[in-house]
Amino acid sequence: MTRTRTPGISRRSTLALMGAGAMSVAAPWVARAQAKTIKIGMPTILSGRVAQLGTSSRNAVMLEVDKVNAAGGLAGRQIEMVIRDSKGQPQEAARVARELVNTDGCEWLIDGEASSGSFAVHEVARDLGVLCVHTCSEASSLTADPKQHIPNAFRCVRQGIHDSIVGGSYAASISKAKGLKKWATCSPDYAYGRDTTGEFTLYLKRFAPDVEIISESWPKLFQPDYTEVVTKILQAKPQALYSCLWGGDLTSYIDQANIYAMFGQMEVFAVNMADYTALTVVKNLPKGIHSGNRYIKSFPTTPENAAWGDAYKAKYNEYPTNWSWQNATAVMFLAEAAKKANSTDGKKIAEVLKGLTIKCPFGTDGTVTMRGDDHTLVGYAIGWGTTIPQEPYVPEVKAGDWKTIFELEAEWKKSKGYT
Amino acid sequence: MTELEAGRADRLAPVRSVAVLQRYRDVLIALVAFAVLASLPLFTGSKALLDFVIRCSAYGLFATSLNLLVGYTGLTSFGHGMFFGLGAYSFGLIMQKLGLPIPVAFVATLAITALIAAVIGAICVRLKEIYFAFVTLAFQMLIHSTILSWASFTGGDQGLRGGIPRPAFLGINLANHVHLYIASCALLVLGLLAMRQIAQSPFGYTLRMIRDNAARASFLGIDVWRVKLTVFVLAALFASMGGMVMALFVSGAYPEFAYWTISGEGIFINMLGGVSTFLGPMVGTVLLLLLNDTVTRFTEYHGIVLGVVILFFALGLRKGLLDFVAEWFSHRHDAGEGR
Repeated sequence: MTRTRTPGISRRSTLALMGAGAMSVAAPWVARAQAKTIKIGMPTILSGRVAQLGTSSRNAVMLEVDKVNAAGGLAGRQIEMVIRDSKGQPQEAARVARELVNTDGCEWLIDGEASSGSFAVHEVARDLGVLCVHTCSEASSLTADPKQHIPNAFRCVRQGIHDSIVGGSYAASISKAKGLKKWATCSPDYAYGRDTTGEFTLYLKRFAPDVEIISESWPKLFQPDYTEVVTKILQAKPQALYSCLWGGDLTSYIDQANIYAMFGQMEVFAVNMADYTALTVVKNLPKGIHSGNRYIKSFPTTPENAAWGDAYKAKYNEYPTNWSWQNATAVMFLAEAAKKANSTDGKKIAEVLKGLTIKCPFGTDGTVTMRGDDHTLVGYAIGWGTTIPQEPYVPEVKAGDWKTIFELEAEWKKSKGYT
Repeated sequence: MTELEAGRADRLAPVRSVAVLQRYRDVLIALVAFAVLASLPLFTGSKALLDFVIRCSAYGLFATSLNLLVGYTGLTSFGHGMFFGLGAYSFGLIMQKLGLPIPVAFVATLAITALIAAVIGAICVRLKEIYFAFVTLAFQMLIHSTILSWASFTGGDQGLRGGIPRPAFLGINLANHVHLYIASCALLVLGLLAMRQIAQSPFGYTLRMIRDNAARASFLGIDVWRVKLTVFVLAALFASMGGMVMALFVSGAYPEFAYWTISGEGIFINMLGGVSTFLGPMVGTVLLLLLNDTVTRFTEYHGIVLGVVILFFALGLRKGLLDFVAEWFSHRHDAGEGR
């Protein structure tokens, strides 16, 4: 007796069909699980006096995230940014950061907070063990102080101490060339103003020992009227003035000092001048103000940097700020680390980030490095130049020397008891 | 006992027994509330909800203590936030610099707050209305400026950095999220219960009398200045407790905690919840934090939304939410009895 195949669908093909059916139903799920987006949380300041800086941080992050997503994402996962306002309040920053991780399921944090807010988010990162990159806080102690150190937090920001060393050496060279011995200072009366001015004068005197500070003014933060400060400085008749006023304070100060023709009577060193938020707002920008670079399209003088500034302007119809390049750099670091680790696991990324050098339009030599021992950004473009009243505003910037910065920074750390 | 005294005792007896009953009822409500809150982690794994309750504890203690001044005594303090900040900073500094056990630091912080509140209060409570409001505000700015300028001690505008150490005590580890949550709930419930007792005691009724007519209270032999000073110090203690909960939550203390905006938020909460009921500020706290947390999720223009809500309460309801509900109930009750 021979067995003949019954016509119709066999058991085997039924099974095959069922399998195929199951696959076709499941395939999108499987695919989705593999391409599941990675959420990155970002508390930053989107309301209040410094909202412009927070918004520029968000813009820069989105500019870079779009590029990463277009190129396939982080280890195959598309990035979804969850960006929320902290109002510049530390308790709100801590709450938002916790909410982003605990409720919204963010796997990493980009901390777009300044000053106290960044320390509050740092504590959240310590508590939750989540990978965190600080992108706006310039306070040196955030990474220099070993008490602050945690393995999962990094700082992708310029630092107060680096600025002071470069500013001090630049000012000293101008001082020597022009014989500027009598100096005055005028800085906002809070920790940043006092610390930065103290460090600047320390390095100025180190490089030019015969400099003498003959007048100090400490206007309040967000002070509307600077008349008494301007007249006090004019009466003291210094040959040079240092100021770390910033943003609206700096522009008000310059507008008011212009009335007294102050800028013709002394050399002015304003570390925060070369930022588009200040340069484009001052009514009559005096020629020849010395300033450190914050973000300026003309420094570093590379086509990559200029192209980045133009792309930002094309998309958002305004120029980037100092916070913008720092946030963009953070995304570049994370993307490169994910590529190297071929993973989005926070711990693995943190391991790769240590000592990682990446190509970057904002580096002195086209690269920047996340220093391994204190998790902080080095090698970024840092320098000083003088202003002109129209674009490019600061045509030539003299770059700072990172070798000197490293030497003096190590000395400074020792003096603070950090090493 | 004279006949007169016997008569008074007879008349007071039912009042006292009602008061005792009320106290038992309050304790019972507190126990149930604590049991419900403490069992929450068993039902939900939502850390955000626990965070929310911890923040409610901090702000709730602060706002209810402000209501002891505003609602019960008629002292509108614009500087109450200084004690919130003082609590956070004292506790944080004691833990960071001295490393004492948490309960000791807690008591020490209360002692420091009491001392400073007594000095500030002694100057402020002599003044009335707008003068009182502004002098308290001035003291707040003094404390805020001191925190900013004394950078070597307080960390200046960057706050107390490096985290607040939270060593375990009596099996309680406040570094653990659930432990911190239960401790915050316990502090909230105990704090509210204590404030409720103060409000319902003869002392609490003296406060109301001073609020309504200080001259009359004075003629009745009450030392108005001393009573006001006492309630000022008591309110400061509870605000300081709120500050400590906040310091534990964020593991730090920041100058913003002692800034006038915190006092402003306290007054805002009281307006939202209502000042004529004991739980009004607590309701206001939950409302404000809920509003804040939901609105900031969707827009950075939260200021506009909060402003509209406040306008609605100020112009629409003309009172806080719980005041409105309480009034509505009593109207319904009256209507039901055909009055």
